Amino acid sequence: MAVLSGLERASGGDLTVAGQDFTTLDEDGLAQARRGRIGIVLQAFHLLPTMTAAENVATPMELAGSRDASPRAEAELTAVGLGHRIGHYPTQLSGGEQQRVAIARATAPRPDLIFADEPTGNLDVHTGEEIVELLFARRAETGATLLIITHDRALAEKCERVLTMADGVIVSDRAGADQSGVAQ
Amino acid sequence: MSASAGGLTWSDAWRLARRDLNARFKGLRLLLVCIFLGTAALAAIGTLTASIERELASSGQELLGGDIEVEVWQRDLSEEEQAALTQYGTVSGGTRLQAMAISDGETGADGEGNTAPIELKAVDALWPLYGGLTLTDGREVAAPTGDTAWLSQGALDRLDIETGEQFRIGTVTLTAGGVIDNEPDRLSEGFQLGPTIIVAEDVPARAGLLQPGALYQSKYRVAFEDEGQSPEAAEGALADTFPNAGFDFRTRDRASPGADRFVQQMSDFLTLVGLAALVIAGIGIAGGVSSYLDQRRASIATLKVLGASNRDIVRIYALQIAAAALIGSALGLATGVLVTPFLSTALQGLLPVESGFVIEPAPLILAAAYGLLVAFAFAAAPLLRARTFPAMALMRSGITPLSRDKRALGATALGLAAICALALLTTDRVVLSASFLIGAGAALLLLAALGFGIQAIARRMPRPSNPILRSALANIHRPGAPTGALVTALGFGLAAFVLLAAIQTAIDGNIQSRVPQEAPDYFVIDVPRDSEVEFKGLVRNTFPDAEIRTVPTLRGAVLAYGKKDAMQRVSQLEEIPEGAFFLRGERGLTYSDELPLGNSLVEGEWWDADHTGEMLVSINVDGARALGLEVGDYITLGVLGTEREVRIANLREIDWESLGFNFTLVFSPNTLDDVPHNLAASVELNEAGSAGEITEKRGTVLRAMVRAFPSSSVVDVSEVLVEARTLLEQVALATLAAAAVAVLAGLAVLMGAIAAARASRMYDTVMLRVLGASRRQVLMMQLAEYGLIAAALAFVALALGSGLGWVVITQMFDFEWLPDWGRVLGVLGLGLAMVIAFAIGGSLPLLRAKPAQALREL
Repeated sequence: MAVLSGLERASGGDLTVAGQDFTTLDEDGLAQARRGRIGIVLQAFHLLPTMTAAENVATPMELAGSRDASPRAEAELTAVGLGHRIGHYPTQLSGGEQQRVAIARATAPRPDLIFADEPTGNLDVHTGEEIVELLFARRAETGATLLIITHDRALAEKCERVLTMADGVIVSDRAGADQSGVAQ
Repeated sequence: MSASAGGLTWSDAWRLARRDLNARFKGLRLLLVCIFLGTAALAAIGTLTASIERELASSGQELLGGDIEVEVWQRDLSEEEQAALTQYGTVSGGTRLQAMAISDGETGADGEGNTAPIELKAVDALWPLYGGLTLTDGREVAAPTGDTAWLSQGALDRLDIETGEQFRIGTVTLTAGGVIDNEPDRLSEGFQLGPTIIVAEDVPARAGLLQPGALYQSKYRVAFEDEGQSPEAAEGALADTFPNAGFDFRTRDRASPGADRFVQQMSDFLTLVGLAALVIAGIGIAGGVSSYLDQRRASIATLKVLGASNRDIVRIYALQIAAAALIGSALGLATGVLVTPFLSTALQGLLPVESGFVIEPAPLILAAAYGLLVAFAFAAAPLLRARTFPAMALMRSGITPLSRDKRALGATALGLAAICALALLTTDRVVLSASFLIGAGAALLLLAALGFGIQAIARRMPRPSNPILRSALANIHRPGAPTGALVTALGFGLAAFVLLAAIQTAIDGNIQSRVPQEAPDYFVIDVPRDSEVEFKGLVRNTFPDAEIRTVPTLRGAVLAYGKKDAMQRVSQLEEIPEGAFFLRGERGLTYSDELPLGNSLVEGEWWDADHTGEMLVSINVDGARALGLEVGDYITLGVLGTEREVRIANLREIDWESLGFNFTLVFSPNTLDDVPHNLAASVELNEAGSAGEITEKRGTVLRAMVRAFPSSSVVDVSEVLVEARTLLEQVALATLAAAAVAVLAGLAVLMGAIAAARASRMYDTVMLRVLGASRRQVLMMQLAEYGLIAAALAFVALALGSGLGWVVITQMFDFEWLPDWGRVLGVLGLGLAMVIAFAIGGSLPLLRAKPAQALREL
C-alpha cells in the first residue's frame, strides 16, 4: 500500500496509479501526485493533535491550494456525522470519532483513490462495523475507488474484488460480495 | 493556486504553521527563552553603554566646563600665560585644593563644632562657562560671591549644619548658601577625597590656604570665541609656546578620559558576556529546535501523507520557529530597554552619568540582529534535516536516522560567519572579540569531540553483566542517543556556573588584597615644614602611641631625560611611552636622606645622609626601564619655573600594595630643600578602646589640628577605603549581574537538553518497568548514565569556565587572578547535583506509576 499510495518509491518494476507513472517521481513529485487524488485512512488515525477536527480535514485541501477548504471540511464532517464535533481536538474525540475524522479527511478532496490500511484495527467490533459502513457509503457518494488492506476476511468479502497476498505474492484474485460499484 | 504548481505559498504555509503552533509555544519555549535572554542581555548592555557614550560625547563642553582646560600645580598662571589663553576666547580660572571645614555650632563634644575634610573648589564669577549649577531647592545659580558657599550634601552632613548656617575654612567664616544638586563639571574634577564645597575665587587666599608650598591646583578653562577652533590645535600651540610650564591639558573631546576608558572597558566586557550568553543560547536553540521537530515527527509525516512536499515542511516549520524567535527577540528588546534605568541606578557609583529610560536604535537593531542570526544559524540544521523525514515513518515504529544534510551545514556556516562578521565589524577591540569567537568555536568543537569520544568509549567498553549498568552504558552510545547534544549543553551550562563562581571569588580576593587591612588612619597634607614637631605633639597628646611619618611634598614636572649629552625633551615626544606615566604633567615629588620604607634598591647606591654636590634622584625601576634609563643618566626637573639637571643615582622597587607614601621620584635633599614646600604626614593612631571612645578622640584630634594648622587638610583613610571597597563591590555586582545572564541561559539550555533527553528515555523507562525493573533499578540506571556524562564534563567545564574567568579578570579588568578554588568547586558540585536532580526529578511520576498505568501515559 505504501508504494501504491506513493508514500514510498518502488525499488523496481513499473507502477502507474490513476494514469500517472509513479516510478519516475521523486519524493516531492509523489507528494504532489497524492494531493487531491489519493486519500489515505490509517489504522492509528494519525490526526494532527494540534488541530481541530475541521482543520485536520481541511489540511489536504489547503496543501492542494484549495480556497474553500474550510466550508468543505465542515460539510464533510457533517456528512460523516460529526457536525457537532467540528471544533474538537483529536484528544477530545473517541477512537471511532477520530477514525470518522480521518475518513472525512481522506474523502473531502474528492480523490480518485482512497486507501484504507486496517481501518478498523484499532476499534471495537461495533464501532468497526459503523466505520466500515461509513467508508462504503462515502465511497458510493464520492465515486472514488476504495482499496482496503485488512486481515479481516468478513470485511474483505464486502468488497467487489478481493486480492489475497501471501509472502508478498498475490495468491488469489476473485469477486467479492459487493457488486454495487461494478456497473459504474 | 500556486500550491498545485509545486508548493505552498508563504501565506498558506503560515496558515498551517499557525494552526499547528500551540499558542503557549509548547516545545518551542526553550528556543524562546534562549533568544529572549541573549537579546535582552545585549539590548540592555548596548542601550546602557550607548546612552552613556552619547552623553559623554555630546556634553563634553559642559562636563569639562570649557573647550580646553589648562591645569598647573602650586602656582597661578603668569600674566603672559593668561594672555595666551585669552586670545582663544573667554577664560575662567579657579583653584582646587584639599581643606578642612569646621562648623561653628556647638554640636561637637568640646563645643567646637564638627570638622570635615573637604574638596575646596574656588571659582571666578564667569564659572560655569557651559551648563549651570542647580541647587536642591531648584535654584539655578552661578558662582558664589563673598562669603557664600554652595555645599554638597555630604559636606552638610559631615558638618552637621543646615542651609543658612555658618562654618569655617581656614581663617574665613562662610555661610552655607545652598546644597549642590547638579554640578555641571563634576565629572572632569576626577577622584575626590572629600565632599565638595564651592566658594568664590578669593576664598582660599583669604583663608590662608595658599601659603608657599601648599598643594593646590589652578584650573583655567576657555570657552572658544571661534566655534570652529580645534581644541587640539590650541593645545598644541600652547604647549609649544610654554614647553616648560608643566601644563596639564584637557579638551572637550576627552573631558573625562578616565570615564571614557571605564565605559569602554565595561562595554567590552558586557558585550562579551552578551555574546557568551548568545553562544550558550545558540546551543539551546539547536537543542530546542531538534527536540521540537522530533516531537513533531508524526505531524510532519502526516502532513507528508496528506501531500506536503519537503519544501512545504521547511516553510511551515521555519515560520513557526521564526515566530518564536521574533517574539523572543521582541520581548528581549523590550526587557533590555526597560531594565536599563534599573541597571543604571544599581551601578550609580560606577557609571559617570546616569542613564534613564532611553531607546537607542543602533544597539537594539544590533541585539535583534544577533538574536535572529543565532536562531537562524542554530535552527537551520535541525530544520533542514527534518524536511527529509519520510512519510512512511508513520507506518514504521522506531527511530529512522536522518542523513546529514550538506545544505544544512552550509546554512549553519553562513549564519555563523554572519555572526562573526557582525561581532567584528561592530567592535573597537577586534583582537579581543576575535579571540573570544575563536575561543567559543574551539570550545564548541572540543565539546563536540568529547561527545563523540564519550560515545566511542561507551561503545567499546566491555558490556557489564549488571543489566542496569549495561542499559545506562547503552543509552550513551545507542543510535539516536542525545549524548552529543547533552554533552554540549551540559558542558556550557556547567562552565557558566564555574565562570560565575570564579569571577565572584576572584573579585572578592582582589577586594581583600587590594584594599589594605592595615593602613594609616589619616593622611594629612600641607603640614607647614617648620611645624613638624608641633604637629606630632598635637596628635600624641590624644593618641600617645600614634605612629606618624612625615615626608616633604612638592610638585614638579620631568622636562627631559636621557644621556647627559643627548637629552630627550618630553614636550617633543609624540606619545608618552607606556609605563612612563610620571612624564605626564606635574607629579608629586619628595626628597629623603634614606631609602623610603617598603622600598628596595635594585641598582646603584643610596646617597649619604648629608650629601652635597651633584643633585641626585632615585627612580622607580619600572618607570626607568620604560624609558630605557640607567643609573648615571640624567633628568631635567621643572619646579616652580626653574630647571634642575639631576643625575640618576639608583633604581628602586616600590611595593605599591602598601598604602603609604610611594613616590616614583625621590631626590637627594640638596636638590629640593630650597624650594618652598610643606610636609605630608601619615598617622596610625594605634589606639585600643571602644569604638565610641575612639570616634570621640578622633573628633578631638581633628578639631585640634584644624585649630592649630588651618591650612592643612586631612584625608580620612578609612572613608577612602570604604569608598574604594564600595566601588570594587559595585564592579563585582555589575560583573555578576552580567555573568548571571550567561548562567540563566546555561541553566535553560541545561534543562532543555535534559528534558529532551528524558523524553527519549520515557519509552525505555516504561518498558523496563513493564519488564519487571524496580523503581530503584530504573533510578540507578539514570543516575549511572548522567553520573558518567557529568563526571566526564566536570573537568571540561572547570577548564572552560575558569579560562573565560581568567580572561575577564586579568585581561579586561587588570585584576589579579585570585579565585577561591574551594568555592568554585563547590559551585560546580552544586551544578552537577542540579543536573542529576533535574534529570531524575522529571521521571518520578512515571516511576511512581504502576507499569500498566505508565504504559497508558506513554
